Amino acid sequence: MILAPFTLHRPESLADALSLAAKLPDGGFDWIGGGTDLLQNYKNRLNAKDHVIALDRVPEMRGISAERIGAGERLAVISESAVVRERWPGLAEAITHVASPLIRNSGTLGGNLLVETRCYYFNQTPFWRGTKGSCMKAESDECLVVPQKEICYAAYSGDLAPILGVLSATLELASPAGTREVRIDEFYAGDGIHKNVKRADEIIVGVKVPAESSTLRAGYRKLRHRDALDYPEMGCAAALRLDASGRIELLRAATTAVDVVPHFVDFTEQMRGQEPDTAFAEVAAAMEERAQPKKNTSMPVGYRKKMVRVYLGRLLDDLRAGRTEGRIPAA
Amino acid sequence: MTPRESRSPHGVGQRVPLIDGPSKVTGSAVYTDDIRLPGTLVGKILRSPHAHAKIVSIDTSAAESMPGVRAVVTGSRDLRTFGVLPISKDEVALAVDKVIYVGDCVAGVAADDEETALAACEAIRVEYEPLPIVGKADDALKECPPEQKLHPGTRHSSNLQKQVDQNFGDVDAAFAGADHVAKGNFRFVGVTHAFTEPHCVIAHFEPTGRLTVWSATQVPHYLHRDLAAVMDLPMHRIRVIRPMVGGAFGGKSDPFPHEMIAALLSRRTGRPVKIRFDREEVFLTNHGRHPTKTSIGVACDGNGKLLGLDLDALIDGGAWGSFGVVTTYYNGVLSVGPYRFDNFRYRGRRVYTNKPPCGAMRGHGAVNSRFAFEVLIDELAEKCGVDAAEFRLRNLLPPNTTTLNGFRITSNGTEECIRRVVEASDWKSKRGKLPYGRGIGIACGFYISGSALRINWNKVPQSTAHLKIDMDGGVTVHCMAAEIGQGSDTMLAQCVAEVLGLPIEWIRVFSRDSDLDPIDLGSYSSRVTFMAGNAARRAAEVIRGKLCAAAARLTGYDAEGFDTRDGHVVWLPNPAIRVPYLDAVLEAIAGKGALIAKGCYHDAPPMGGSHKGAAAGLSPTYSFQSYVTETEVDPETGFVKPVKVWAAHDCGKALNPLAVEMQIEGCLHMGLGQALMESFGYNRATVGNPSFLDYKIPGPLEMPDVEVHIVESNDPEGPFGAKEAGEGPLLPILPSLANAVRDAVGITMYELPMTPDRVLKEIEKKERASAVREASEAANPKETVR
Repeated sequence: MILAPFTLHRPESLADALSLAAKLPDGGFDWIGGGTDLLQNYKNRLNAKDHVIALDRVPEMRGISAERIGAGERLAVISESAVVRERWPGLAEAITHVASPLIRNSGTLGGNLLVETRCYYFNQTPFWRGTKGSCMKAESDECLVVPQKEICYAAYSGDLAPILGVLSATLELASPAGTREVRIDEFYAGDGIHKNVKRADEIIVGVKVPAESSTLRAGYRKLRHRDALDYPEMGCAAALRLDASGRIELLRAATTAVDVVPHFVDFTEQMRGQEPDTAFAEVAAAMEERAQPKKNTSMPVGYRKKMVRVYLGRLLDDLRAGRTEGRIPAA
Repeated sequence: MTPRESRSPHGVGQRVPLIDGPSKVTGSAVYTDDIRLPGTLVGKILRSPHAHAKIVSIDTSAAESMPGVRAVVTGSRDLRTFGVLPISKDEVALAVDKVIYVGDCVAGVAADDEETALAACEAIRVEYEPLPIVGKADDALKECPPEQKLHPGTRHSSNLQKQVDQNFGDVDAAFAGADHVAKGNFRFVGVTHAFTEPHCVIAHFEPTGRLTVWSATQVPHYLHRDLAAVMDLPMHRIRVIRPMVGGAFGGKSDPFPHEMIAALLSRRTGRPVKIRFDREEVFLTNHGRHPTKTSIGVACDGNGKLLGLDLDALIDGGAWGSFGVVTTYYNGVLSVGPYRFDNFRYRGRRVYTNKPPCGAMRGHGAVNSRFAFEVLIDELAEKCGVDAAEFRLRNLLPPNTTTLNGFRITSNGTEECIRRVVEASDWKSKRGKLPYGRGIGIACGFYISGSALRINWNKVPQSTAHLKIDMDGGVTVHCMAAEIGQGSDTMLAQCVAEVLGLPIEWIRVFSRDSDLDPIDLGSYSSRVTFMAGNAARRAAEVIRGKLCAAAARLTGYDAEGFDTRDGHVVWLPNPAIRVPYLDAVLEAIAGKGALIAKGCYHDAPPMGGSHKGAAAGLSPTYSFQSYVTETEVDPETGFVKPVKVWAAHDCGKALNPLAVEMQIEGCLHMGLGQALMESFGYNRATVGNPSFLDYKIPGPLEMPDVEVHIVESNDPEGPFGAKEAGEGPLLPILPSLANAVRDAVGITMYELPMTPDRVLKEIEKKERASAVREASEAANPKETVR
C-alpha cells in the first residue's frame, strides 16, 4: 500500500502552526503528532487530506511538569517520566497498555486523545471497501453496523481518555482566537464522525491534571486478545479515595471502546460514605448498563458489555488494596 | 558445552546456530524483493471484487494507453491450467470467463513504477455478472446446475471436489460392543500461515529466450514444472532461483498465479517484472488450513483399551484444489497413530467454495482431527476412570509394527515422550488436583516424516546432493532443498561436516538455483531432513572414501582403517597415524581434478496396503510427540492463559538440538495461535480481517514457559537416525491445552479458537446446568480422576 500523497508542513512554533492552518482550506488539512494512527489511515485512503501539519517542532506542546503534560510529548517518555510516575502512577501504567513499545516511542499524548474512532467496516483497505460497499465514515452515506444514515457508530478506542478523565484532566485547546480549556469529560461528544468539541483549526497543546488528583488511587484495565498491539475491546478506569473509616470519599469511573465516545461518571456524590463493596458493585453495574458496544470490533458485543462489570469491579478492588498490574517495575 | 561424540565440532548432535542467521540479523540477507535488476518493471494484479461472477467483458485500452504502462495481460483459454497435484490442476494464471473468489486475479499490469501500475489497474474496466455464491461447505454439497459449479469439469454434480471413504474392521460392531463411547461435533475455522515475508517474484525473459524466475517459494521444483506448462517452454529453458525466504509454513508450497503473471508480463515486455504482495494480497492468496467440521466417535472397553475410531471431516477448500486431495486423506489417515485400534472408518469430503483457496499449512491435514481425537480420549479416560496419561500409555502402537491401514511404523518414541512429560510436569500430583481455574492436560501427536511416494510419478530421486572439493579444501554442497527459515541449509552443512570431520566453516551450501543445484522436491511434508539429509550424507561418504584412499596412499596403511575426524584423516587402529585433511585433499585431487560426488534419496522401501488411497500418509518414518500443558482459566472472563508446556518430541536423532528446540517452540507458538485466537474470518465471502492487527497472532507476552524434551528413537533409515521436527510438534499443543482447560474448569471446547467469550459461555452453560457449586476452599469443585 502506498501512502496517499500530501504536502507536509513543519512549523516551528504554535503561532506558525495556527497561522499556517488558517491559510489552508477548511477540512483541507490534518494535524499530525506521531502519525502512528493517521498514516495508517492515509495508507488505506481513509479521508486523507492534501496538507498535513506536523507538530513535532512546536515547543509549546512539550514539557512534563507537575501541572501540565505537553500534548506533543511521546507516550513512552511520559510513561517513563519521574514526575508522572510519582504523581499519577495510574497514568504511567495505563500508557503501557497503548499499542506496543515501538508505537509508544512515536505516538503522542495528544494523538492518543484524538485517536480516530474505529470500526470493522471503516478500518479496511480500499479494495476491501470496494467489495463490501463503503460506509458513511469513508466514502458513502450509510452506516454498515447499524444500517441508517444519521449516526456513525465507530467506537472511540483511545486508552488514555478514561484515566485522564478520572484524574479530572483539562485540555488546553489553542486556536487563532486564543486558548481555551475544556474538561476532558466534556470534550468528547457527537458520534464516530463528529467526535469531540475541538474545531478543525484547534490544537490540543497540553493536558493539565489538578494537583489534588495526585492523591487519588487511579488505574486503568483493558480487555483485548493480546497483551500488546491491540486496541481496547473495552477499557475502564477508576479513581478512588476512601475516608479514614474506609468508606467512599471519592469515586469516579470511565470506560472506552464501548460507545462512540468514552463514558465518564463521577459517582462521588452518589457513593460518598458508602461501604466500598456495595459501592463497587453498583458502580460496575452502572457503567455496564451505560455501555453500548456495537458489532464493529473483534469480540462479541454482549461479552464486551459484560466485561465492563468484571474489569471495573476488579480494578476497584485493586485500587482499594493498593495493587497495580505490575506493568511498571518498581523504582 | 554439549559433550560430543561426533567427528566435527558442528556435527551430529551439536548445538549449531543456523548458518544463515548472521546475514538475516545484520540485514545483508537477500530476499526476492531485495533484488534489483536493471530495467525492472513493477507488476500489479487487478483482483476480483466478486466472490463468484461471470466476466462479461474486460476493456484494458485505457490502461494500455497510459504513459509508463508497458503491458497488460488477461486470462486466456490458451494458457494451460496448473496446480501442485497432477490430479487437480484446476488453477489458472488469470481468470477466464469467470471469477471464483474475492481476490481472484483478473488482469496483470507491468509499468515503470508502482503508482502507475496501480492507476492502470484502476483504469481497467471489467463488467461482471454476479453468480450465486457458494459460501459454506454444507451449501457446496448441494446439487447445482453446471454453471454454478466453481469448476464445471469435476465429476460431481455439486461443488464436492473429493470424497474419501475408508473402512477397516467393523466400526459399528466395535461401537455396539464397547463399554464406553465418546462423540463430538467439532468446528474449526480457517487459519493462515502469517509468515513475515509477503510473496514476491521477479520474472525475466532474457534476450536468449530463457526465462529466469526468482521467487519466494518452498517448492522451486514444482514451480519449475508448472512454469514450463503455463509458459509452454521445456524445463531446460527455465531457471528457477529461490532467494532467502522469510518464512513459509506451507503458504509458499504451491505454484501461484502471480508467478505465472510475472512471467507473462516479462514475455510481453522483454524486461524483468517484479510482483510483490502487500499484506492484504497475502491474505487473499491464503492456502492456509481448511475450515473443517469434524464429527468423531471413539470407543473403548472397560479397561480403557481403544476399540475404534469413527471420523468424518467436511473440509472447506475454497476456490482451488491445491493440496486438497492430500488434505482430504490426511484428515483421516493421520489419526491411525500413535494409538493402536482395530476398527477405523473415515469419510472425508473436500468442497469448493467461493473463498480464497486453502492448502497445506504446518501439520497439514492432521491438526484438526488430532484435536478432536485427543479431546475425546480424555473423555473416554474419564468414563473408564483411568488417568489420561495412563490411558494413552495403554493404547500405544509399539515400534516396528504396521498400522491397521498399512503404515509401516519403525522407530517410535511415544512411550518415552509420555513418561518424560508426565514426570517433568509432576502430572500425578497436579491432574485433577489443582484449584478451580487451573488445570493440566496431556495430548500426543503423530506425523509423517516425508511422503514415501512422490507427487509426480517418475523416477527422479526425491532428493539429490552434489559435493565438490577443490584444492582450497572448502566443501560445496549443492541441493535444491528449500531453506525457508527452518534450517535446512544448516542441516545439510552439518550432515556433511559430520561425515568429513570438518568444522562447519568449511562447508558452503548452494540450494537456490535450478541451473546449479540438483533437484530436491521441496520443503513440504516434513521431508527435507530425512531425504536431503540422507542424500548429502551419502555424497559426503563417497568423498570420505576418496580421502581415506588418499591417506592410505600417503601413509601406506590400509584405506579401510581410515576415518575422517577433527580435520584429519585418522587411522583408527592407531590414531597417531593421521593425515591433515588438506594434505589428503591434495593427494586425492592430484592428477584427477576436484573431488566430486553425488548422493541421492530415492524412495522408501515398498510399503503400504492395496486399498484405494493406500499411498496417502505413507512415510518412510513417523515422528511422535507428547505434551503436557498447564493453564490458567479465568472463570469470570474466560481468558485461557497457558503457563507452562512440557513438550516431548521424538525426532529420531537431534542433528542440531538447538534447531529442534526452535522448531518445537515455533510449532507451539503457531498451534497456540489456532487454539486461542487466530481466525481467518469472512464477511460473507470476503476475508474479514486481512491484516496483522485484525488477524490475531499471539505475541511474546502470550507465550508460556516451554520446557523441551528431545526424545531420540534413532530411526534406522533417517540420516544419523534423524526424522522430522518441523510439523509434528504442532499437533499436541492444541488438544493438550483444551484438556487442561477441561481440567481447570470442567468444560469441553468443541470449537476453536478458544476465545474468552466462547470459554465464558461454556463455563456459564455448565454452571447453569450443574447444581449450586460449593464454594468452600476445602472442597475442590473439580471431578477427580483416579
